[in-house]
Amino acid sequence: MIATADNERHKDAVIIGGGIAGLQSALDLADQGYKVAVVERQASIGGRMISLSKVYPTLDCASCITTPKMSAAAHHENIELLTYTEVDSITPGPNGHTVVVTRKATHVNADKCIGCRLCEYACDTEYPDDFEQGLGSVRAISVAFTNAIPQKAVLDADYCLACGLCLRACPTDAIEFDQQPRQETIHADVVIVASGFQLNALTIKPQYSAAQNQNVISPLTLERLLAPHGPYGRVLRPSDGKIPESIAFVQCAGSRDQSIGVPYCSRVCCMYAIKQAMLLSGSLPTADITIYYMDIRAFGKGYEQFYQNAKAMGINFVRGKVSKIDSVDKDDLLVHVEYTEEPQDCVRKQRHDMVVLAQGMIPQWNPTSFSPVQIGSDGFVATPDSVSPCTTNVPGIFVAGAAAGPKDIVDSIAEAGAAAMEAGRYLSKRAHLDHTARTVALELIA
Amino acid sequence: MAGKFNPDLHLDITGFGGKDIDMCMNCGTCTTICPMSEDSGGGFPRRVIRLIQTGQQSKLEETLDPWLCYYCGDCTTNCPRQANPAETMMASRRYLTARYDFTGLAKLFYKSAVAEILAIILVGLFVTGLFVAFHGPMVLNKVELNTFAPVHAVELGDWIMAAVLSFFLLAGAARMTWWTLGRKKMFRISPLIFIQQIPVFFVHLFTQKRWKKCGSHHSGIRWMKHLLLVSGYLSMLTLVLILLRWFQTDKIYPFYYPQRLWGYYATIALLYPTVDFMISRWRRKEPIHLFSEASDWIFLVMLFLTALTGIMVNIFRVGGLPMATYLIYVIHLSIAVPMLVVEVPFSKWSHIMYRPLSIYLYGVKQAATRANRAADEPASEKVAA
Repeated sequence: MIATADNERHKDAVIIGGGIAGLQSALDLADQGYKVAVVERQASIGGRMISLSKVYPTLDCASCITTPKMSAAAHHENIELLTYTEVDSITPGPNGHTVVVTRKATHVNADKCIGCRLCEYACDTEYPDDFEQGLGSVRAISVAFTNAIPQKAVLDADYCLACGLCLRACPTDAIEFDQQPRQETIHADVVIVASGFQLNALTIKPQYSAAQNQNVISPLTLERLLAPHGPYGRVLRPSDGKIPESIAFVQCAGSRDQSIGVPYCSRVCCMYAIKQAMLLSGSLPTADITIYYMDIRAFGKGYEQFYQNAKAMGINFVRGKVSKIDSVDKDDLLVHVEYTEEPQDCVRKQRHDMVVLAQGMIPQWNPTSFSPVQIGSDGFVATPDSVSPCTTNVPGIFVAGAAAGPKDIVDSIAEAGAAAMEAGRYLSKRAHLDHTARTVALELIA
Repeated sequence: MAGKFNPDLHLDITGFGGKDIDMCMNCGTCTTICPMSEDSGGGFPRRVIRLIQTGQQSKLEETLDPWLCYYCGDCTTNCPRQANPAETMMASRRYLTARYDFTGLAKLFYKSAVAEILAIILVGLFVTGLFVAFHGPMVLNKVELNTFAPVHAVELGDWIMAAVLSFFLLAGAARMTWWTLGRKKMFRISPLIFIQQIPVFFVHLFTQKRWKKCGSHHSGIRWMKHLLLVSGYLSMLTLVLILLRWFQTDKIYPFYYPQRLWGYYATIALLYPTVDFMISRWRRKEPIHLFSEASDWIFLVMLFLTALTGIMVNIFRVGGLPMATYLIYVIHLSIAVPMLVVEVPFSKWSHIMYRPLSIYLYGVKQAATRANRAADEPASEKVAA
């Protein structure tokens, strides 16, 4: 119960993942008075959602609705954010779970750093920016992105030349070249796994031989191209900076495909493709936009109307799965597809300036090697109890959001709330048992 | 949506060897991959699977599309659902063969290996019985096959069998034509078109040249092996049906005489591909040989045994072993006859008719469409004027 050393502490709950699901769970528990730690492997919380341009079906600005949650979590007295931190192990025990984490070296003293970015401006080493999907560049020491939380610089030792420019620029002497990663232990009564998803590789299907082409892009890249504060500030195709005149969305490019081991539906691709197509027709009003799909799965509240709106806007929907993508004339792309709703001459080759592959959602994190949490056949955290979808096989460990399976933002938030509810119930039951045990013990002594 | 609807059609096709038909999501990957697809006018092979999934039995019977496929397996390799379209096409061809056959025997044989083997045994025993009852005197000091089995009697049997088999095969061909050209529309097609297209049938019967268009997987090599097999089969057919008096002699000619050389060629042309195909099926080397139905095996084994016993007759005859020659001759015919009787009209061998006929019927259909369009055009111009 009592933290014995600097690197050991007690929390009511540890949330693994600082994306939208993790933050929602953290806020819901913290508002009930529980002490929560959020473990995030990146330098900033916010997860995938903070990098999106807008969200469907409302077309709300993603930053504008994520940042308040991030900020609320950061300023909450019951929430501690452990960013740039990886989970090493989760061990359940009679008095709760022991979570061992590694605080990776940021080479910046977080207590001293004031987020002024003078180091970033001074640094002259640049490398491709992961947050911008490799399109922009970022300095070797920098704050993760504009609206990152915490606003603390992180030095990437892989790229840093140790020239010392930042040292001289920092007004608070926060930079510590010799900082080492350190392991910490958190004793927690409950753990919520909200580790989210990643996308499978663009090149996963050998039939899409052009996936190496720079103009075959990930939907997350297009999100950055569409974001107002994105790498170019406008939509340009990556290879040559041309304003694309014809853009194709290839759906089910990494899901519903047994041959690449992802037989399930990723559930979000139809809707984000429609959203991106709408946004594109706003930013490129003369462009031809085609969505090649097997079926449009517009199942959520307001989604079908959103789809119908997109059709009415003139976005071209073609029923058929793209079977091959070739490069032509170096930069352009040729998709081979059957127009399955056409009676004649249905096999066509269409030329596009840019192709967006709807990659499949796969789990970001596999906890099986260092925790007792089991995963299902799809690789996502298993939820064996079908009437309690947030519980894992381990009592006291819960799961929320895309860690349990492909899920969109709305569903992730709803599930995060449910996981927090389950966790809260579990915590209060334990507290009650503790109280009863103590009472019994006192009575025995008396 | 006229025509017969059969909600269990996909189960029927599964009974003929179809695999995972229900997995298909109709994405059209197979259509785009398939090099034969453009010949279908659109949608092959996806639309065939669609017809099966939606139970449109009449439309399936009316389509020639399954006959477009030579089973390169590219669709199956690329199918994102692993729904095995190539095997579905194969099963559809078996199903159609069974539907073209009015007796119901084809369906029975395809669905039950036991029935097919039993039928082969029965016919074999019948042939053996005929020999036991009616064979000629057995000369034992030298080989006199024509005394044991007089060539004119065997020839008569040949022709009776050929007539019976042709009847069933032609009946099937008639049903195929009737269904695929449109049960009533057929009579509106000019007879001239039917005659003009006849060469197409024979070109494809003898060359199978459309196969070369088929996909990536060693199709050229497979086409050549198949062509070799066909040449062996047609050679044998010619030798035993038309040239039997010249082929089955008691005089032993030097081996370079044409009746012997041609016979040897035919034997090799039958033995090599059958052995090769059997090994490939056993080892599942090629996509087409991944799944083998009983009918596939029976066909290959019977063909192999026929060629093997045939060449043994020759060996014993040339070697001067009278009793062995007579015995193996009876065995040879007790294998060859049931193979022909069961396989040609009612099983896999019927594709010797249906495959070229399907290409012929395509030709007729296309020519008729062109003719109709040409006839319509002046009329519409008149209306416009």
